[in-house]
Amino acid sequence: MLYIIKRLIMVIPIMIGVVIIVFTLTYFAPGDPVSVALGEGYTQEEYDAQAEFMGLDKTYIEQLASYLVHLITKLDLGKSYFSNIPIESELMSRFPVSAMLGLFGIVLTVLIGIPLGIFSAIKQYTVLDYGLTALALVMAAIPGFVLAILCIVLFGVRLRWLPIMGLETPRHWILPIATSAFPGIAAMMRMTRTTMLEVIRQDYITTARSKGLKENAIIVKHALKNCLIPLVTIIGGSMAMVLAGSIISENIFSIRGIGTYMYGGISSRDYPVVMAGVLVMAFVVCVVNLLVDILYAFVDPRIKTIYGIRKNKRKKPAVMPGAESEVV
Amino acid sequence: MLRHLVKEKKESNPRTPEDMSVKKALWQDVLARFLKNKSGIVGFSIVVIMILLIIFAPVITRFDYDAQSFPDRLLYPSALHPFGTDNFGRDLFTRMLYGGRISFMIAFIATLISAAIGTVFGSVAGYFGGVIDMIISRFLDILMAIPSLLLAIAISAALGSGPINTALALSIGGIAISARIIRATVMAIKTNEYIEAAKATGSRNLRIIRKHILPNTFAPLLVNATMSIGGSIMGIAGLSFIGLGVKPPTPEWGSILNVGREFIRDFWPMTVFPALFIMLTIFGFNLFGDALRDALDPRLKD
Amino acid sequence: MNLLEIKGLTIQYAMRANTIHAVNNVDLTIAPGQTLGLVGETGAGKTTTARGILRLIQTPPGKIVSGEVFFEGRDLLKMSGAEMRAIRGKSISMIFQNPMSALNPILTIGEQIAEVIHLHEKCSKKEAAERSRNMLKMVGIRPERAGEYPHQFSGGMKQRVVIAIALACSPKLLIADEPTTALDVTIQAQVLDMMRALKNKLNTSMLLITHDLGVVAETCDAVAIMYAGEIVEYGSLERVFHNPKHPYTLGLFGSIPSLDKVVERLSPIRGLMPEPSALPKGCKFKERCDYSCDDCEKEEQVLREIELNHTVRCMRAEGGGF
Repeated sequence: MLYIIKRLIMVIPIMIGVVIIVFTLTYFAPGDPVSVALGEGYTQEEYDAQAEFMGLDKTYIEQLASYLVHLITKLDLGKSYFSNIPIESELMSRFPVSAMLGLFGIVLTVLIGIPLGIFSAIKQYTVLDYGLTALALVMAAIPGFVLAILCIVLFGVRLRWLPIMGLETPRHWILPIATSAFPGIAAMMRMTRTTMLEVIRQDYITTARSKGLKENAIIVKHALKNCLIPLVTIIGGSMAMVLAGSIISENIFSIRGIGTYMYGGISSRDYPVVMAGVLVMAFVVCVVNLLVDILYAFVDPRIKTIYGIRKNKRKKPAVMPGAESEVV
Repeated sequence: MLRHLVKEKKESNPRTPEDMSVKKALWQDVLARFLKNKSGIVGFSIVVIMILLIIFAPVITRFDYDAQSFPDRLLYPSALHPFGTDNFGRDLFTRMLYGGRISFMIAFIATLISAAIGTVFGSVAGYFGGVIDMIISRFLDILMAIPSLLLAIAISAALGSGPINTALALSIGGIAISARIIRATVMAIKTNEYIEAAKATGSRNLRIIRKHILPNTFAPLLVNATMSIGGSIMGIAGLSFIGLGVKPPTPEWGSILNVGREFIRDFWPMTVFPALFIMLTIFGFNLFGDALRDALDPRLKD
Repeated sequence: MNLLEIKGLTIQYAMRANTIHAVNNVDLTIAPGQTLGLVGETGAGKTTTARGILRLIQTPPGKIVSGEVFFEGRDLLKMSGAEMRAIRGKSISMIFQNPMSALNPILTIGEQIAEVIHLHEKCSKKEAAERSRNMLKMVGIRPERAGEYPHQFSGGMKQRVVIAIALACSPKLLIADEPTTALDVTIQAQVLDMMRALKNKLNTSMLLITHDLGVVAETCDAVAIMYAGEIVEYGSLERVFHNPKHPYTLGLFGSIPSLDKVVERLSPIRGLMPEPSALPKGCKFKERCDYSCDDCEKEEQVLREIELNHTVRCMRAEGGGF
């Protein structure tokens, strides 16, 4: 419990740091929102009034402080430069769709990636193993948006099997979820295989065999749970990938989610929107990582019994194919 | 044949200090292990072929990459236009190769920048430890909290499009990982050499960092760099796809793919060829990076 | 009838560049209730032999090339997978060398003991848990700790848990692979005492693998000395310890520091064991032997009986020695 509380508290300074970084980025961005908002021909007074209205006449520190205060006290993410709709209401209305897509993507990644990785490991040196490994390598090389386009060409246009726009029927969900899960499946497969291979080599597996257990029982009861520990970390990373990629994939499939909202903000240089979007996504990633860490504690009894873990106990593999590719 | 060349090199250097001859022997081992790895050689070949293609693009191609020709719009592949033409009549084969130049250039620069900055942060944090380490590590944590593609998008949106801006945008995300790797390596070595360093004076410290610590960081950095080039290429394509990154008329795989979307129903070359190039390049770098990592890692991979 | 009879066991590992001849034509016998010590240096092939008995060799790259392992009259090497699994943990159990890594970190020790009981004996999960707590008591661990995890125990206690698992189903044969090597000397004594007591209580036969002659002297009835995959000396404890004949055995005894004499230097055996992938022809010990002659490398050496209950693989040891 102490562990969980400690982790929760850690999230706050990180989020504040993120806010500062993102805010600073947009503050120094080229372009002047005031003149954009006013359009053609304005006087100095009109300019000053508009600037004051938009809160852009204050210094950097004042603006940063004001943003932080609004964020923390009222969860107010500001307004778009171009419309007067409060950003957080837009985000709220679009959140469920993106969240569901993301969730289904992760579920698919886990359901397909882990079993395939396990098969690959148990049947090492066989044709199945080489085949699956090669498949994972190929899958990892296909960015999500490329796959989405190819799928649209193949399944939507040529074969006309699946719809490619919007989300009305369940069939509409198939392509968006499949294409966003794809790179994650490759990463999960490879990591599961590597971890499983290591686990099978451990002494306690030999002990289990010497007890006379069947191979299946050994894999399920002894090997699997030990495998899950590093895998749970990857799920956190997958979430980040899926979120970032949703900006592009939602656009490709014309889905009304957070991704398209952000895309619109980027195209029109609507900085408050972009900033808010980044914040929300970073926050979701933080929360997911937190849940992952808590899950960790449940899966690994060694953590259950030890308090005050150094925050960096969660091992992030330094180099991991497929995880570098964060574009869907 | 390569083995033969490497052996020659070793013999021609008889008077190298012990440190160096150990390193040379190490590299021979690495090379030998790498050559045994079939997929690594495949990956390496793909990368080399790509690089050769894009270097010799002016020689291989017949057209200018921005030579428009309205009567020749949207032609399917033929002998004259091996990949067909785009919606402005420009030869797609040429645009693929020149697009490759842009992609590779930006990817290399981005990787270089993030490795350089990451090394500085990581070695300072690792070597000095204490408060400095804590501050830098917290900063890295914050950086890592933002998904790197997202960060690249945000920075790209702030800075605008163009090759240099894109390279900068992509490099920032990679800093944290490079820094972490360097920091871990430095800290591991620091406990070894620290006794010596304690006896010496301040300036000797710097030399120790340069001579002992940095060479040992080379290997993990190299692996990380190779792996992340694939990711960078993906990122460049992705950014260009959404209108950041590199804008038309500069040829770039991602932006061509994006434009090709319009014609997706009737004309496949404008989407399929950029997709193929992106996938093949990333695949090659991934295989190469994997094999490199296995060759550099003394533990057997199975 | 002998409980265990190993005849001509040969095990090899096929690596990429060469073949490792780990175990070469080994014969061993264990009578019911008897403890056989298998002594040798690291790399001699003792662990491989032990694992070969239970068919726990990693295949690939390992392979039991030939031989027979008769347990209560039946050849283990010819059994099906299911028959073998019925024997493991129940009739024959094994204790491994490194207690620190032999237990699954995410299962409680109680569960790990109960698992083997539940697997082989017809009883409910509750009964298995109850019996597992009894086993803990027997090995000197408080049964209330059954719900704790391996990392909460010290090395010595972990080894006791491993022993509890191995003896839970009252096996007829216990194979103990260097059970005390990873523990410090004081714990070593405790664990050995405990093993001896349990062994007597349950009348278990034991194959004790070790490189420590002192341990052999205290616990074993018979001894086999192993070198480069072969048995080089074999007999009752009394015969081998009082009348060692193989130059290697002589070297081993000679290298033990004496409590009575004052010496300036220890006397190890010169040289190193040959590479198992490149074993020399003829006597494998010739290079390091002070008594060798040219004939020694010409013929493959065989075990010769030099007296009752005592065989030696050395052509020069016969007929009264050197």
